[in-house]
Amino acid sequence: MVLFFNQLINGLGTGAIYALIALGYTMVYGIVKLINFAHGDIMMVGSYTAVLLMVNAGVSFPVALMGSMLICVVFGVAIERVAYKPLREAPRICSLITAIGVSYLLQNSAQLLFSANPRPFPPVFSVPPITLGGISISFVTLVTVVVSVLLMIGLNLFVMTSRTGKAMRAVSEDIGAAKLMGINVNMTISVTFAIGCALAGIGAFLYCIAYPSVAPTMGAMPGLKAFIAAVLGGIGILPGAMLGGFIMGVAESLTKGFVSTQLSDAVVYGILIIVLLFKPSGMLGRVQREKV
Amino acid sequence: MKSKLRSYIINLSATLLVYFVLSTLIGSGAINKYYASILIMIGINVIMTVSLNLTTGFLGELALGHAGFMSVGAFTAGIITKQLTASMGWDAAACLPISLLAGGILAAVMGFLIGVPALRLKGDYLAIITLGFGEIIRVIIQNMQITGGASGISRIPRINNFSITFFVMAAVIVVMFTLGRSRHGRAILSIRENAVAAESTGISVTRYKIFAFTFAAFFAGIAGGLYAHQIGRISAATFDFNKSIEYLVMVVLGGMGSITGSIIAAGVLTLLPELLRQFADYRMLLYSIMLILMMLFRPKGLMGTAEFSLTFVWDRLTGFYKRAASSKATPKPVTMPDSPTYAVKEGAPVLETRNLGIRFGGLQAAEGVNLQLFDNEIVGLIGPNGAGKTTVFNMLTGVYLPTEGDIQLLGQSIVGKKTYEIVADGVARTFQNIRLFKSMTVLENIKVAFHTRMHYSPASGIFRLPKYAREERGIEQRARELLRVFNMEESADLPADGLPYGQQRKLEICRALATSPKVLLLDEPAAGMNPIETRELMETIGLIRNRFSVAILLIEHDMKLVMGICERIYVLNYGRIIAQGTPTEIRNNPEVIRAYLGHSDGGVKKGEEGEAHGNA
Repeated sequence: MVLFFNQLINGLGTGAIYALIALGYTMVYGIVKLINFAHGDIMMVGSYTAVLLMVNAGVSFPVALMGSMLICVVFGVAIERVAYKPLREAPRICSLITAIGVSYLLQNSAQLLFSANPRPFPPVFSVPPITLGGISISFVTLVTVVVSVLLMIGLNLFVMTSRTGKAMRAVSEDIGAAKLMGINVNMTISVTFAIGCALAGIGAFLYCIAYPSVAPTMGAMPGLKAFIAAVLGGIGILPGAMLGGFIMGVAESLTKGFVSTQLSDAVVYGILIIVLLFKPSGMLGRVQREKV
Repeated sequence: MKSKLRSYIINLSATLLVYFVLSTLIGSGAINKYYASILIMIGINVIMTVSLNLTTGFLGELALGHAGFMSVGAFTAGIITKQLTASMGWDAAACLPISLLAGGILAAVMGFLIGVPALRLKGDYLAIITLGFGEIIRVIIQNMQITGGASGISRIPRINNFSITFFVMAAVIVVMFTLGRSRHGRAILSIRENAVAAESTGISVTRYKIFAFTFAAFFAGIAGGLYAHQIGRISAATFDFNKSIEYLVMVVLGGMGSITGSIIAAGVLTLLPELLRQFADYRMLLYSIMLILMMLFRPKGLMGTAEFSLTFVWDRLTGFYKRAASSKATPKPVTMPDSPTYAVKEGAPVLETRNLGIRFGGLQAAEGVNLQLFDNEIVGLIGPNGAGKTTVFNMLTGVYLPTEGDIQLLGQSIVGKKTYEIVADGVARTFQNIRLFKSMTVLENIKVAFHTRMHYSPASGIFRLPKYAREERGIEQRARELLRVFNMEESADLPADGLPYGQQRKLEICRALATSPKVLLLDEPAAGMNPIETRELMETIGLIRNRFSVAILLIEHDMKLVMGICERIYVLNYGRIIAQGTPTEIRNNPEVIRAYLGHSDGGVKKGEEGEAHGNA
């Protein structure tokens, strides 16, 4: 029972990180219908920035967080402008391939700059875990879960109530109509990328605190998992991304604890497949029928 | 010389020439072992790319798990060869055909098992589920005893060589070409172009999706088998998501839907990293930049959907066509597509609905609809916007399943049948918003529609058996005849979306007629037409009735057209039939006038008041 709860809590911690990255994925997909394969690599960029700032420049943790979020935003917006924007009218598979290209580019540039060897991430918190009747909750896990839930709620409020949020929803429904209503479409898309990438920056920090090692390809796996989480919850839907992230994290952790470490990926993909077969547009997604 | 035969000879000689040149160079050592092995890898990658192009390029569905099928093939073939040589004492070379085939078949079975559930999904969701299945295959192989767990299997007899790879590759390419040019290939293409229209033209979209998926998996399995016998040791980790992406990149760069494009891209992208070896540090960087630039400046890939034709080049060089013009063609055996005979009972309607209705959740979109359509009749179905006219069409064609009532075609109920089955039974339709197979030519659009009236099997098409040739000649003739009737013969070889608007509408009608229907449903044929085009359309509809012996039911808002050509008219409002009769009767029916112009007893006034408030 103790093992179960410990695994559950670990799972929630991992799930919260997936969820944060998934939020960025889902926002970008929602607005430009692009599977941004480079999103995980943005997280990698954020992690390297954090290491450079904290280890090499010796700045404090909050400043490093700000710095790495800023760099992520700059990268994200620049990539959108240079690589994705020209392809907005092209078939969607073209922007998908471009995103894959961008992902390779980021990974290989990082490898040239920092070598393939992983770098250690400096410890940030030194708070002992909270123990409750044999169940220990590490401070990091607690922070991760709380931060990601708060961010999701805040983001949802932003998208649902603010002026920019309304513009985002309008652009995601119909770019042409949004333009005619006087919405600055390019600006709105940039803002969306900026928010998504800022979240990736926060995600990078939380990920590195949990798994303190930074490498050029570190973004690929959590990126893919986060994307799957977004699809699982219903891509384009913010609470869906969060739900998907938690389900993935918990499923993974419980499989590792009780079945087998190797099979955890299979279980995660299995859940995805089963959910999609019964709810073809994800857990919280609505089915859209093509009008004949 | 016959043109088909000539093209076979040209391509066969070119293939053999390439083979002899390369194998002599390898044999003499001019191409060293290292480069020979790269050539073999190119061959294997060509098979992978060409087969993935079938799903992603021709069918138009993004598949992200193609490497999974390769791995199924590789492990199956590797294990079989190892077993047969070790425990049965077979000669390794003799095992190869069996192992390759077994690998292909098992991969195809996996493709089928995955395809059946997965292909219910669309677009990105389908892509993700193929990714999921690909990864599950990898994890399962990594956890099975027989496949050697995480370390995989090694010491597979390395019996693959250049000749085997080359000829298997050539065979796969030929099969892809011939399949693509058969009725089955056309069916697959039409799904990419417009799945709804394909289904309404008599093509079982689900069946062909699964067919394409299974077929592609089969070839990926064969490529996997070759790979296993080339490298000698395989582990499941090789065939991961990144491998699938690598092949997808090759397909897209070559051009989705172009086999020659796939061949070139697989060659270049396999060779490139090797050539860049001296810049080892930068090669992946260059590769990724190239990928991005290629997409930005040539989003359709190297070849788009075009094919490079050696025959065409040869003809240009030798000026063959100038001489060909004078040669006379001898008549060849032809099989015409079926023209079904419909048992029309004297005095009975060909199509009849009884109390037809449909409910979407809480909304009753149609209720108690009783329509009768007699042979050779032109009947109008009119009503204000949102009255449920297209909903009725969608029920008649099996797009929607009615929740109440019955539909009888020639005395048989067609409720519950699939759209493509109803087409085969004799009901064809056009769409409100034109749905052509845009990038296919006018002639091909029509040929697709003969699908249900043809018989030859995929094997017939792939191996170009006489049955294939006879039926294809038959529909070529029929399709051209049909175009001639509609004065569209000169446009036969133009892409459909290059036609002017009115002609596109006409082509859609033409395509519907090619399915040899008894009942033709036209959904707002005059929408968006100018008065001249509309007048021409009226003549066309009259012509169809006289020449093709069909009953026509048409939805239309253009009253001049409806009143001008319809013998009877049904008026639909709020999903119910409120009037029926001859044009004159309908024109003077007070119910109809009220439906169109609003109530005279204050209903309109109320609306106006509401609007006035809104404006204030």
